[in-house]
Parts: sequence; C-alpha cells; structure tokens
Amino acid sequence: MKKDNTEKIPVTEPEKLSIPENEIWTYQIEGLQEPHIETGREHSLGKKLGVVLILLVAIGLSIYFSVRAVHKETYEYKALENGTYELVKYSNPGEETKLTVDCVDGDPAKPITVLHEYFLNCDEKLTEVTLGKSITQIDGKSFYSCWALQNIHVDPENPAYCDIDGVLFTKDLKTVVCYPIDHDAYLRKVHGYAEEPEWWGEDYTEQYIADVMTFRLPAETETIGMLAFNYAALADVTMPEGVKTIETMAFFRCSALRSITTFKGEVEYASLPEGLETIGSDAFSYDQALDYLYLPASVKSIGHHAFWDAVYKDNGEIKGVAAINTALTEEQFKSQVETGDQWKPEYDFMLFKKAVPINYSAERTGANAAS
Amino acid sequence: MANESGNKVKALFTEIKTHWKTPAEGKYVPYKEYKDIFIAVGSNYTGSKVLEYIVFAASCYLMMYHYKLPYLTFSVINIINMPLNYIWTLIGWLVADNLGMLVKKTERKLYGLYFALIAVGLLMIFGNASALFDPANRFVAYMNSLEGINFASAIKILGTHLLWNGWAGARGIFWRKKLIPKYGRYKYMLYSDCIPKCVMVVLIGWLPFYKIPDVVTRVWVANLMFAVYNLYGFDNRLEICTRNISPNVRERILVRSYPIKFSHIFYSILAIILPVIIGALRYEWADINVFRYVIPVTFLIAAGLTMVFAGRVRERIPQPPLEKKVQINFWDGMFGVMRNKYKWIRTIVELLDALGNGMLPFATILYLYTFRLSGLLYSLIVALVSFAGTPPDLLAPYFLKRFTYKQLQIFYQLSRALGNTIIVLSLLFLGDKLVLCGTICVITLFFLEMCKTVPVTASYDMEVRINDYQMYLSGERLENFSGVFGWFTGPIVSFVGLIIPLMLLKYGFNSNWDVLFIDASRIKIIVIPIIIDIIGYVLMTIPYLFWDYDDDKQSKVMQVLQRREEVTGGTLGLASDADQIDSDREQEAVPQ
Repeated sequence: MKKDNTEKIPVTEPEKLSIPENEIWTYQIEGLQEPHIETGREHSLGKKLGVVLILLVAIGLSIYFSVRAVHKETYEYKALENGTYELVKYSNPGEETKLTVDCVDGDPAKPITVLHEYFLNCDEKLTEVTLGKSITQIDGKSFYSCWALQNIHVDPENPAYCDIDGVLFTKDLKTVVCYPIDHDAYLRKVHGYAEEPEWWGEDYTEQYIADVMTFRLPAETETIGMLAFNYAALADVTMPEGVKTIETMAFFRCSALRSITTFKGEVEYASLPEGLETIGSDAFSYDQALDYLYLPASVKSIGHHAFWDAVYKDNGEIKGVAAINTALTEEQFKSQVETGDQWKPEYDFMLFKKAVPINYSAERTGANAAS
Repeated sequence: MANESGNKVKALFTEIKTHWKTPAEGKYVPYKEYKDIFIAVGSNYTGSKVLEYIVFAASCYLMMYHYKLPYLTFSVINIINMPLNYIWTLIGWLVADNLGMLVKKTERKLYGLYFALIAVGLLMIFGNASALFDPANRFVAYMNSLEGINFASAIKILGTHLLWNGWAGARGIFWRKKLIPKYGRYKYMLYSDCIPKCVMVVLIGWLPFYKIPDVVTRVWVANLMFAVYNLYGFDNRLEICTRNISPNVRERILVRSYPIKFSHIFYSILAIILPVIIGALRYEWADINVFRYVIPVTFLIAAGLTMVFAGRVRERIPQPPLEKKVQINFWDGMFGVMRNKYKWIRTIVELLDALGNGMLPFATILYLYTFRLSGLLYSLIVALVSFAGTPPDLLAPYFLKRFTYKQLQIFYQLSRALGNTIIVLSLLFLGDKLVLCGTICVITLFFLEMCKTVPVTASYDMEVRINDYQMYLSGERLENFSGVFGWFTGPIVSFVGLIIPLMLLKYGFNSNWDVLFIDASRIKIIVIPIIIDIIGYVLMTIPYLFWDYDDDKQSKVMQVLQRREEVTGGTLGLASDADQIDSDREQEAVPQ
C-alpha cells in the first residue's frame, strides 16, 4: 500500500479559523496581539520624539565611551610599591622616531625602573630608544614587533643594562636582551650602503653580509634572551661556548640566518655551542636558510616547535635543516633530553608532515668543525 | 523487517516519481525543485563560504599575513562610520521594505542625495581636506594618536564611507525596481552583483596595496578596496529564499533538513581540498597565491553554477500582489516592528551575544598556533568538526517536533557555556601539554558543533516565524525595519565590541599574529575573551524564558495570512515566471 511520506511527521491538527472577509486585517488570534496595520496612522509627536531622544542618547553615550576607550595617553605608568614607576604603554602620538625612557614627566623624583611587556607593541615609527639609568627590569617581550627600531641605547650609569652599538645586554653581558629588528638599517648607514639590496640579488654580496648581517656575541654571554633576535636580518651569528640557554623564540623568523658558529678563544666551530643546555620553544622557528644543526652532548631540554618550519621542500629536494645531528647516542638522548611536542623540523610529505631524521652519535661537520 | 524497509524505499521512490513536477496535496514544492535547490544552494553556499576568507577583519589571512593592520584600527574605523550609518540605514529600510517601489518624488530626492554623497566621498578621498585644518588643533592631535590612523586618513575613511553609501544606496533603488518583480525579494541581488563581485574577488589578490610601507596609508587604501569589494554581495541568498519556499512550516523544515543540508556537502568537500592545495603552497596560508589563484578560481566556479540554477528556486510567501502592496512609511515601519515581542527577545539575545565581539577565532588559533596544522591533517580535523553537525541536522525534524524552540535555544546556550568552560579549563591547566590539551579542545568543539545545528535550524525558522507574525501584525514583513533594534543596540554593541580588542592589545596582540606563538600570551589572548563569552551564553538563556510562540500560534497566523491573500487575490510570493507580473504595469500601479 502506498504511504504518503508526509505522514511520517505527525502534525497536530490546528484549529481551523473562520475569518470574515471584513476582518482580515483586524482578526486577533488568541494569545497574540491584535493586528495593527499602521498605514496612514498618525503617530503622536511625543512618541516620535521619545524614540529620537533615546536614540540620540544611545549614540552619544556610545561615541563618548568609545572615543575615551580608544584614546590613549602617550605614556601609561603604574606606580610601584618602592616609589618608582613601571612604563606600561607608550603610544606614539604620530611620527615620533625617538623615545627616551627615564622618569615620569621629566621628574627625577619619579624614576621609571620597569618596562612592561609589549609596552611598545608593534610601534612602526620609533627608530631609537634611549633607556635611562634607573631602568632595572625589562621584560623580554618589551620591544616585540617594533619594526623600525634600529638602536636601543642605555645610559652608561645604568647598573643593570648596557648596550653595545645599539644592541641591548644586561650590564654583565651575560644575557643579550634585544637585537633591534631594524638594526641592519643602522649598520647600512654606518657602512655606507644607500639602501637594502635585493634579496639574493647581485648586490647581496658577502661583503654586505659581513658588514650588515653578521653578529658576534661577547664572550661573556650565557643566555640569549626571549625574542632577542626575532625577525633580525642576520645571516651569520657567532656565539661563545659559554652560552647555556637559548630562550623562547630567540631566533624566531630569522629568515636569512644561514649559519651559527661557536667560538672559544681563537677556535671556531659550526653550530650550537658545547655546554648549551636549554633551547626554548620556537627558538629557531621558520629559519629556513639554516642548513646545518648540531646539538651538543650537554643539551638537556628542547622546547616545543624549537625548529618548526626550519625545513622545506623545493622541487622535491629537502632544504634547510634536513637532519638533526647530535653527539648523543639514541639512548642517551632519550634519557637525558626533555623534548617538547613537535620539536623537530617537519616538511610536507604525502599530504602530511614528516619530521627530519636525527643522526645520533654524529660528529660536527663543515669547514669550521671544532678543533 | 527487510521486506518492510524495502517497501518503504519503494514507496519513497513512487512518491518522488509521482510528485516530481507537481507537489503533493498540502505541499508547495515539487521534488524536481529539491534537486535544483541542492545544486543552487550548494553552489551559492560554497561561494559565500569561500568569500569568508576575504574580509576586512584582523582574522582574514590576507590581513594577517600581508596587510598587517593594527587590530584596534578596525574598531576605530567602525566608530568613525557609526554616526552616519544611522541615516543611511534609515533610508535603506524605506527603500528595502518598499521593495524599491518609491513615490517618484521621494525616489528623485534619494537619487539626488546618493549622487551628492558619491561626489563628496570622491573629493574627500582624492583631495587633501586635511590641509584645511590646523595640525595643532586638539582634535587633529587626537586623531593622529589613534592606531593606524591619522587625521588625513580619517577624512579619507569617512569619504570612503560616503562614497560607499551613496553608490550602494543608488544601486539599491535601481536594482530593486528592475529585478524584484522578476526574481523576487530574496535572490535579485545575485543577478545584479555576481559579475562585479567576481571581478573584485580576482582583483583583491592582485592589487599590491599590501606592499605600501606606511601603515596609515595601507589602512585607508585597504578600507577603500574592501569598501568597493563589499558593495557587491554574494550572500547565501538562495538559502534565505528557501526559508520562504513554502507556507507549510513542516515543508520548510523538510527542505531545510534535506536538500539544503545535503547541498552543504559541496563546501564540506571543498573544505577538505582547499587546505590541502593551500598546504602545498610555499608559504601555505601566508602565500599570496591563495588570494591570487586558489580562492578566485574556486569562487568563479561556484558563482557560475549558482547563476545557472538560481532561477529555479522560488519563494512562496502568502502575500497580496505587489500592486496591492501596503506602502510603509518610516514611522509605520518603526513602530510596527517595535510592537513585535519576539523581535525584542531576539534583540536582547543578540545584544548579550555581542559580549564576545572582537574575539579572535579560537578554532583557527588552536589549529594554526597550538597544533601547527596544515595540509590534509588540518583539512581532516576541520572536516571532522564541521561534520559533527550533519547527523543531528538530518534528524532536525524529529528534534524540532520533540522539543520546543524555547527548550532548544536554552539548551544551545547552556551547551556553549559548558563546552567553553571545558576549553578554558584545559587551556589553563593542561596548556603546556599541547597534544592532550588540543585533543580535549577538538573533542569539545566536535560536541559543540553537534549541539549547535538543531538549535540553529530552529533559529532560522524562528526568524521566519517572527516575520510571519510581523506580517500578521503589520501587513508587511518589515524585515529591514527590524534594523531599528540595531539602532538602539548598535551603539552598545559597538562599545562592548571594544572591550576585547583593548584587552588583547594589553596582552600583546596587535597587527602581528606571531604573538600567538608565545605560549603565555596566547593563553591569555584566548582564555579571557572566552570567559566573557561564557558569561554572555549563560545570560542569553534568560530572554528565551519569555518565548511562547508555539506551533499552534504559527499555524493560526498562517491561516490569517492565507485568508488575506485569498481575499486580496494575491499569489504565493513573487513568482519566478517573468510573465506572471507585468513589471511596467506594476510600477505604474504602485500606490503613491
């Protein structure tokens, strides 16, 4: 027997309404409002004014509060318990390129001692920042994403920090805090380059790399701070053997970084220093120009995604960090090294990602291998 | 048992065959139209979903990786545009709810206004109005201190706003008059906008404005480019049209649950393929070729298919014929919608929902920044989560019969609150265990998606029912005049929408999304807005306690509408057949 498909959905039989023709616009259903066809009706002036007034108040209040909310004072401070101040936020009032952080409103009695994280967040105008003698605490994220920043100068009397030619260090030089993102623009001026050469173009010479894109850390350095070299246009970095810690995102998106060299006295060798213990998360992420990596036997901890996207496939060929070399045996590595998720570089493989292999018990290779 | 199932399948086939071209008694949609809906809505939906990748918002990959605009700038632009928006929307409702059929004198005045706006807008954009003002002025100094904007660019942004509204307003009158009589009130826009939209989708990837070094210039130019792009719509108009496909409410739900639901499979497949293609690009989502090739090609195919099948989907609202249509003046429309209790309920819910405005897309952050997903794996997880909604959606007719809309909406808000609480707890306490934390979040998202689809289907039908009720109350659906609620809530929403961006700014989120790679910052950036959202979800249950519009009332409303239609000699909506309405005669007959 044929069965109507509609029968599957039982519908409660609705009450059948009987609506006279002359009531079609006014018939009221029980439980609902009476129809109220407004056409041609005169609405009272008071009613109209009421609506307009409420509306104007709503708009006015909203604009007032919104404008107040988005308005930012140039400086925002927070008073600290010890009578000093923290600079929480600096909002560039327009085209300022230089900033001096010393004390509140020029009053030496109100010294600024702390720089808050992201206090210059994404400023695109500042090229020079000068830190006064009172600054004693700087968050690693303080200078995050300041694209035009070329130099950070520190008052020589500052007890906690110093700078070496515009690069920020702790006073004892044990920690490099910030290599300004646009420091290469300053170095170009110093070395007489008119403008940035085309990437991998004819002007991009070894001399240019040596002058502008090379950085040698002082022998005292033990820690490379969080975000210290992020986005830096560096090709060659040389670090001392005393470096023990490379913090989170220290070399994040250094897309030109092609080599890391370690020195000990006069001796230089390729890749990360002996004695290195900690590599933070995303420390070398997106550093695809780097093509050799050697983990010393001293490594104890590697953060998640430490070498993320430091390898890629180009015309079927694997480029970048195609393998990880380590002095440790597989057993030693597994027992000694604490690793975060996806710490190895991964490249596209059969629509998925594949991690690069680890060469255990490897020896350093390359022209600069340790003597 | 097997025999019984076989008989059922056989009966279904017979039913489809019998009513392939002619609908069964009590129904309005023949099965042939189900097939057309499947293809037409599928293509339209796919095209509109693809366009979600191109928006003037921080969450757009084009903005994220190429334009790199400060996050707060989007809110500031909204504030600049907000006051004047009231005037344009007011005029817009008048035009839209009268379906473009205006009194001649009014029409001429509006055209005059719109063309003047275009001229002034162009002058402000391409002239240098800022030279007229004193740079030392406090207001100028204030504007110069805003994120990504200065006084000169603010004038250009305002000029863009005027240009946009002038052009959109003039087009609105012109195309409504020309196309609504032929294509109906819901899908006419596809016919006027499809080609220019295609052109803009192609251009937006190729115009190299993201290379402009100065952020302030980049902001106003991007705003102008997106204004032109947004002039032309490709919303899922055909699906909206199908919400009014039948006066039979059960049939609407059947259409919604089967051909419409199945039609989304086009996009579901694409949602798997697209990330795989994009994952194969050199810089994946950050690759400009996503916007030069992948998205334009996909969109062009979807747009082409949509236009081929759009004409076969019809709307069938019981209403008097156009020539007997009630003319709505502004105050009638305004007070008309304000009498609708159910619109107030929905408005309060939307207002509470605005607490989450300005929040970053949590799932995207989870996939890209926590899991670092790309390629096929990304596709599979996204597809898995979005598939979660399919089984309940197929069962929607059962759930909608078994539970009241009130129950479903309250359940929906509470499930969102619970799910998001689980996510927050896992981020706070398991945030350092990426795989475990991520797995919990994905499973929660899966269940949230499952819980979402039936209430959302109910929600669509609630909107249609509210409009049916409005038609019973006022003689017109007043869908656009419903925007009056937005007038009052808009300013509040606009202010509330600043809360999260300002918070995120403190946590380091601005124009550079890489901050999300910093674990401590990412957790704050995600968790705090979700907590605000949870509060909103809980509060959103309260207005629904006052919802009492049930099936019985809806059925009676439809009887009243049908009776009005019988008496006035109307048709079921605007027929697709062009000859059914003589548009010239109809234009002449518009009540003055």
